[in-house]
Amino acid sequence: MGEFKERNIKCVIAILKEKNPATTKEIMAMRDLFPDLCAGCSSGGDVISAGKQLVEEGIVERKWIPSEGFSWKLLEVSE
Amino acid sequence: MVVWARIRKDFPVLSELYEGKNLIYFDSACMSLKPVQVWEAMEYYYKHLGACGGAGRSTHSLGLETSQLTEEARMKIASFINARSQNEIIWTRNATEGLNIIAATLPIKKDENIVTTSLEHHSGMLPFVKKCQEVGCELRIVDAHPNGTFNPADFEEKIDDKTKIVSFVHASNLTGTVAPLEDVVKISHEHGAWVVSDEAQFAPHNKLDVKKLDVDFCALSIHKACGPTGIGALYGKYELLEQLDMFLVGGDVIEDVIYENGKIIPKYLPPPHKFEAGLQNYGGMLGAGAAVDYLQKIGMANIHNREQSFSKRLLEGILELEKFEVLGPLDYKQRAALVSFRPKSDVMNHNDVTEYFNDMIPHHKILMRSGNMCVHPFQYQIGLNPGKGEGVTRASLYIYNTIDEVEIFLSELEKFSKALD
Repeated sequence: MGEFKERNIKCVIAILKEKNPATTKEIMAMRDLFPDLCAGCSSGGDVISAGKQLVEEGIVERKWIPSEGFSWKLLEVSE
Repeated sequence: MVVWARIRKDFPVLSELYEGKNLIYFDSACMSLKPVQVWEAMEYYYKHLGACGGAGRSTHSLGLETSQLTEEARMKIASFINARSQNEIIWTRNATEGLNIIAATLPIKKDENIVTTSLEHHSGMLPFVKKCQEVGCELRIVDAHPNGTFNPADFEEKIDDKTKIVSFVHASNLTGTVAPLEDVVKISHEHGAWVVSDEAQFAPHNKLDVKKLDVDFCALSIHKACGPTGIGALYGKYELLEQLDMFLVGGDVIEDVIYENGKIIPKYLPPPHKFEAGLQNYGGMLGAGAAVDYLQKIGMANIHNREQSFSKRLLEGILELEKFEVLGPLDYKQRAALVSFRPKSDVMNHNDVTEYFNDMIPHHKILMRSGNMCVHPFQYQIGLNPGKGEGVTRASLYIYNTIDEVEIFLSELEKFSKALD
């Protein structure tokens, strides 16, 4: 895994450790809390991509909630 | 008469199921799909040639045929945009590289200025921002109007006799605005300034006539025009290309490199070869030639007319729902075949819109792009904050899309819009 992708994965996990579950909107707003991990992804696509990888790996669960959007929940943390 | 259903069959991915769903590809402003004719042209190179081309590098049979076919492809690009000669076409990786070549090699003095706009793709803006930082010259910005349009008079205010070049996007990848390039060229030339146009979004969808527009340089991304990735072209008036320095140097750009009295004295080739250092993307060039052949066979006017009727429906359908803010002009005639939109209510992030259409609707995956489309300055100008994750979803159309796909999208968007209440 490239360093950039790895950083975005750590960004998503760090945010979900702060607020679990969190909507995409909340995750985007909380990126400022982790500037070293979440930098370089201003449109949020990198975070979404990282979040989807975590869903595929069974680490995060994603649910659609009408009127809120996607909610992301951290199921387990791999250190 | 164009049989559009037959054209669609040239793009086999559209007939395949992905994760059990039909694909609706609405992301052509980022990357167009590639017809089988393009792969075949590339396959010919990789299967039957595979050799060096270029300026007299390898003169064996495979080398000569590679050189011949790539030069024919260069001629096809020249014909596609109505350049005077194939020597006005430089192969690049993409439009970004073309714009960087112009900025990096531009002869400009500290007391001169460069004019660009707030609506440029970063690729049409940042090379010139960097140039001005390096040289100390002034960068002047023409603000697009909040609806993404331009008034030529705004350029008259910024361009003066000290303007060296104007970098201007012909069709915006964010707002879809088709800009008044001819007017801007005229104003610029009255002051002796050059114009470089970013044609990444215009040329794949419309007839681009560089002679008629009298534009000095323009940058094309072939990958948005049915061509392969990693290949683009830069057009420049020959007499201006002669005035530019090289961007990269090395193999293939020289006539000779003399070693005399302890000194290395390079003698460079004339344009376009002096800009094409090193071994090139020969397979990509053949694919590029096949791509423009393919588009010209359909006819650029046919492409434009069909896309405009679809984008009219797309634009009007999104606006009718009254739940979305659309960026750019609301008159479809002023637009390219794309619509960037965002929920008016602040309940969810724009990425959720795109993800919903990718994953959550039955039977189809509607593939769009979300984000800021590399046009942050204009979004800051109109009050969005890309740095805080605010952005848009963009639906962009091309020759393989159908009106049925537009209707499916609008029907699903209507259902989706209820989630915004």
